[in-house]
Amino acid sequence: MTSFLNSIGYNNWILSVLLLFPLVGALLVWRLPPERAKRAALVISLVEFLLSLGLWWAYDRTVPGMQFVLVAPWLPEWGVTFRVGLDGISLFMVLLSTGLLPLSVLGSWDYIHEREAGFYAMLLVLLTGMLGVFLALDLFVFYVFWEAMLIPMYFIIGIWGGSNRLYAAIKFFIYTFFGSLLMLVAILVMVWQVYRVTGTLSFNYDDLLAHAEVVRASAPWLFAAFAIAFAIKVPVFPFHTWLPDAHVEAPTAGSVILAGVLLKMGTYGFLRFAIPFFPGVAFSPFVTNLVLWCAVIGIIYGALVALVQPDIKKLVAYSSVSHLGFVMLGIWSASLQSVQGAVLIMIGHGLSTSALFFLIGMLYERRHTRLLADFGGLARVMPLFGLLFTVSALASIGLPGLSGFVGEFLVLLGSFGRHPWAAGIATTGVIFAAAYLLWAVQRLLYGRLDNPSNQHLTDLTARELWVILPLVAGMIWLGLYPKPILDRTEASARHYLELAKPGLPPITRLPLEEAR
Amino acid sequence: MGTLDLTTPQGLLTSILPESILVVLSLVVVLMAAWNHTEPRHSRMAGWASLVSLGITAAVTGWLWSSGAHTEAIGGMIGVDSFRFLAELLILLAAAGTILLSLTYLEREQMTAPEYYPLILFAVIGMLFMVVANDLIVVFLGLETMSVSVYVLAAFDRRSERSAEAGLKYFLVGAFASAFLLYGIALVYGATGVTNLSLIGAQLGGGPLPLLAGAGLGLLLIGFGFKVAAAPFHMWAPDVYDGAPTPVTTFMATAVKAAGFLTLARVLLVAFPDAMPHWKPILGVLGVLTMVIGNLVALVQRSLKRMLAYSSVAHAGYLLLALVPGSILGTAALQLYLLAYTLTTLIAFGTLAFIGRGGEREVTLSDIAGLGRTRPVLALAIAICMLSLLGFPGTLGFIGKWYILLGLISTGHPVLAVIMVLATVVSAGYYLPIIMAMYMREPAAPMVHAEVRVPVPARIVFAVSAVVLLAFGLWPAPILDLAATGAHAVSAVLSGAMAGQ
Repeated sequence: MTSFLNSIGYNNWILSVLLLFPLVGALLVWRLPPERAKRAALVISLVEFLLSLGLWWAYDRTVPGMQFVLVAPWLPEWGVTFRVGLDGISLFMVLLSTGLLPLSVLGSWDYIHEREAGFYAMLLVLLTGMLGVFLALDLFVFYVFWEAMLIPMYFIIGIWGGSNRLYAAIKFFIYTFFGSLLMLVAILVMVWQVYRVTGTLSFNYDDLLAHAEVVRASAPWLFAAFAIAFAIKVPVFPFHTWLPDAHVEAPTAGSVILAGVLLKMGTYGFLRFAIPFFPGVAFSPFVTNLVLWCAVIGIIYGALVALVQPDIKKLVAYSSVSHLGFVMLGIWSASLQSVQGAVLIMIGHGLSTSALFFLIGMLYERRHTRLLADFGGLARVMPLFGLLFTVSALASIGLPGLSGFVGEFLVLLGSFGRHPWAAGIATTGVIFAAAYLLWAVQRLLYGRLDNPSNQHLTDLTARELWVILPLVAGMIWLGLYPKPILDRTEASARHYLELAKPGLPPITRLPLEEAR
Repeated sequence: MGTLDLTTPQGLLTSILPESILVVLSLVVVLMAAWNHTEPRHSRMAGWASLVSLGITAAVTGWLWSSGAHTEAIGGMIGVDSFRFLAELLILLAAAGTILLSLTYLEREQMTAPEYYPLILFAVIGMLFMVVANDLIVVFLGLETMSVSVYVLAAFDRRSERSAEAGLKYFLVGAFASAFLLYGIALVYGATGVTNLSLIGAQLGGGPLPLLAGAGLGLLLIGFGFKVAAAPFHMWAPDVYDGAPTPVTTFMATAVKAAGFLTLARVLLVAFPDAMPHWKPILGVLGVLTMVIGNLVALVQRSLKRMLAYSSVAHAGYLLLALVPGSILGTAALQLYLLAYTLTTLIAFGTLAFIGRGGEREVTLSDIAGLGRTRPVLALAIAICMLSLLGFPGTLGFIGKWYILLGLISTGHPVLAVIMVLATVVSAGYYLPIIMAMYMREPAAPMVHAEVRVPVPARIVFAVSAVVLLAFGLWPAPILDLAATGAHAVSAVLSGAMAGQ
C-alpha cells in the first residue's frame, strides 16, 4: 500500500487536495437541485474519506514531528505562509472528520427538508474548516480556519436547527468568537515579541515554538488568552453553558459534528499550541490545580446533570462535558499513557457520541419527541435500534472491549502517578456515567411498552444501519485492538511530552514502580 | 513630472490640478442644473455628469501620482505625496458610490432637484482640499466648504421633518466644531507664528510642548472629534445619520468621516510628531469611549438605520485606535481600515435605502426577515458586509482590524488591543441578528420583498464592493503595500522619531 501511495506521489498533494476538494464540492452542491445535491455531497464526502484513508498507511509512525508538510506563500512581507502538515495526533482528528462527514450526509438523508443543497454545501465547507484547523502550522492560517469554521456551523444550527435555534446559534457563535479574538491578540503579541528579538516577522508554528522562551515575561497572559479560547471550545467546566443549547438545537448532523469533531478542536489546541508554547505556565502549580479542578468538576458535574435530564439529547450533550473532562485530565497529567489515552478518548468519544446522536435523531424523526418519559420498551418493536443503542451507550460508559474503556483506563493509569487525588475523583465519574446512561437505556428500551404511539414504530432502515454500523465497528475495533492507533500516536505523544517537559515538576513517586 | 516648486504659480496649480479640474467641472454641472431642472431626467443627467467629473478627477489624480510629482522644500501649502493621492482616490470612490446609490433613489423619493449633485461635488472639493492641505488655513477652508455642502444635503428632503432636524442639528453642532477648530488654529499660530504644518512641526520639535500650542492641539482634537463623531462628541451623529436621506447618510459615514480622519492623521503626524506623548493617551481614551458607547448603544436599537449609525460611531473608535500608535504601521492601518469601512458602509446603508421602499420608513429586523430566500444575491452582499464590519477572517474588514491590532501591539498597547477585541465581540451582538433575520427567519409575508427594487447602478456598487471586500480579504498583499507607501509618505518627518521606537 505504502509503495503504491508513494508511486502516485500521495505525500505531496494529499493535504492540499483534502482542503480544497470539499470546498470546490460545496460550490457544486450548492447549485444542484435537492435530490442530486445530497447524492453529490455523499459521493464527494466518500471520495474525500477514501483519499484521507491513505494517510493511515502513508503516515510514518517513527517520525515524531510533522509530516506531509506543504508550504505556499500567502503574505510574505508579514511572515504569513500557508503552511500545513500533520502528526500522529492530527492524523486521527483528520480521519475522524473525514469519516464522520459521509455518515452525517447519509444520516441527514430524509430528515432535512428545506434548502437541502445549502445544508449539504455547508457540511462540506465545515469539513474544509475543520481540516484546516487540524492541519494548520501557521498561526495566522490556524486562526483563519478556526474562525471560518464558525460560519457554516452557525448556519447549520440557525437554519436547520430546532425551535430555539436562533438563540443557540448566536450563543455558540459569540462564545467562540470571544475566545478566539483574545487568542488573536495573544498570537499578535507573541509574533511581535519574537520579531523584536529575532528580527523576522513570522507566524510559522515552528519558528514561534523555537523562540517561545522570548515571551516568558508575558507568558501567563498569553497562555490565559489561548487557554480561554480552547477551554470554551472543549468546553471546560465553567465555560460549558453554550454546549447544551447548541447540541440540542442543532440538527442531528450538526450535533454529530459538534460533539465528534468541534469539541476536540479545544483539546487539540491545548496539545498543539497552548502547552508546547508555554509549558512553564501550563504546568505551574496554580494552573495545574485550576485545570485539574475544572476537569474533575466537569466530569462529576456533567455526569450529575446528565443524570436528571428528561431529554435524551441533552443527556448525551452533558455526557460530553464529562468525557472531555477526562481528556483534560489526561493532557495535564503529561505521561505517555495519559496523553495517548486522551487522544483515544477523543477518537472513542467521536465514535460513540456520534452514534448516540444519530440514533436519537432517528428516533426523533419517528416520534418527534426526545423525552425519556414518552418512551419505554422500544427494544421490543425496534430490536436493531435497541441493540445498537445499547452498544453505543456501553462504549460511551467505558465497558471493557469497547472504545471508551481503553482511553479512560489509560488516562486514569497515567494520571495516578502525578495527581492521585484527581484520578481518584475522576474514577467515580465512570460510575456516574454507567448510572446515567444505563438508566436512560432502561427507560428508553426496556420496561413496559405502554405508550400506544410507540407500538408501531418501525425498526432501523438499511440506510440508517449504514450510518450506525461503521461507527459500531469502529467502537469494537478500538476497544479490542487499539494497538495500531497507539502505535501511530506514540511518537507524537512523546514529542509533545518533550515539549511539555520544561514546565513539568519531577514526579516524586511512581506508584506502579513502588508496587513492583 | 518631478519636483514641484510650490512658490511658483505653475507649481502650485499643478499640485492642486485634480481639485482645480473638479472645481471647473462642478461649475459645469451647476450650469447644467440651472438650465434644466424641471424633469426627473435632468436630475439624472446631472448625476451622470457628476459621476463623469469624479472619474476625470480620479484619472488626473492617478496621472499626477504616476508622474512622480513631489515637493522638496518644506513650507508649501499643499502636500504632494502618496498619502494624499490615496486619500483623494478614497474620497472620490466614496463619492462615486454615493452618486450611484442616489440616482434612482432620489426619483423614488421624489427629491429630484438636480442641485443635489453639485452639492456633493462641492463637498468633495472641500474634502480634497482638506486631505491635500499642508497648512491649517487650507484645512479649515476645505472643512468649511465640505461642511456647508453637507449641512444642506442632510436637510435635502424638504418635506421630512426629521431631515430638516438633521440638517439643523448638524449645522449647529458643526458650527461649534468649526469654532473649536478655528480657535485651536489661532492658539497654535499664537504659539508658533505659522500655520504651515511642516513649519509647526519644526517649531515645536525638540523642546517641551508650549502650553499655548498644547491648548491649541486640544481644541483641534475636539474639533476633529466632533467631525468624525468620536465620543463624547458623537451625540449629533445618530440623529443626523437617521434623519438625513439614506444616500446622504452613506456619504457622511464614508467620505466625510474618511476626510476627517485622514486630515487629522496628517495634522498630528506632520505638525505634532513631537507632541505624540500628549495626544496618544487622549486618542486612546477617546477611542475606547467611542467603541464602547457606539457598540453598546447599537445593541439596543430597533431601527436598522439608527443601529448602523451607532455602529459607525463604534468604527470611529477603531479608527481612533489606529491613530494611537502614531507609527507607519498605524497610519497604514488607518488607510486600510477606511477603505474597508467605506466599502462596507456603501453596502450597508445602500441596501437599507432600497429595502426601505419609499417614504423613508423605519426598517427593522422583521423587514429583512427571509431576505436570504427571496433575494439571495442581495442578502449575500449584506451578509458579506456584516461579516466585514465584524472583522471576520476572509474579508477586508478582518485585514483592517488585524492591522490596527498589530499597530497597537507593536507600539506597546496590548490593553487597548484587548479592549478593541472585546468591543468587537459586543458588535457581534447586533451584526449577527441581521444575518440571522435574513437567513434563519421566515419572511413576514410571502411577497414582502417582491417590491424591493435594486436599480442597476446600485447593483454595481454592491457587487463591486462585495467582491473587493472578499478579494482583498483573501489576498491583501497589494493593498497592504499601497497603504504602507502612503503611510511612509506622511510619516517622512517622523522617520527620525520612528527610528527610536
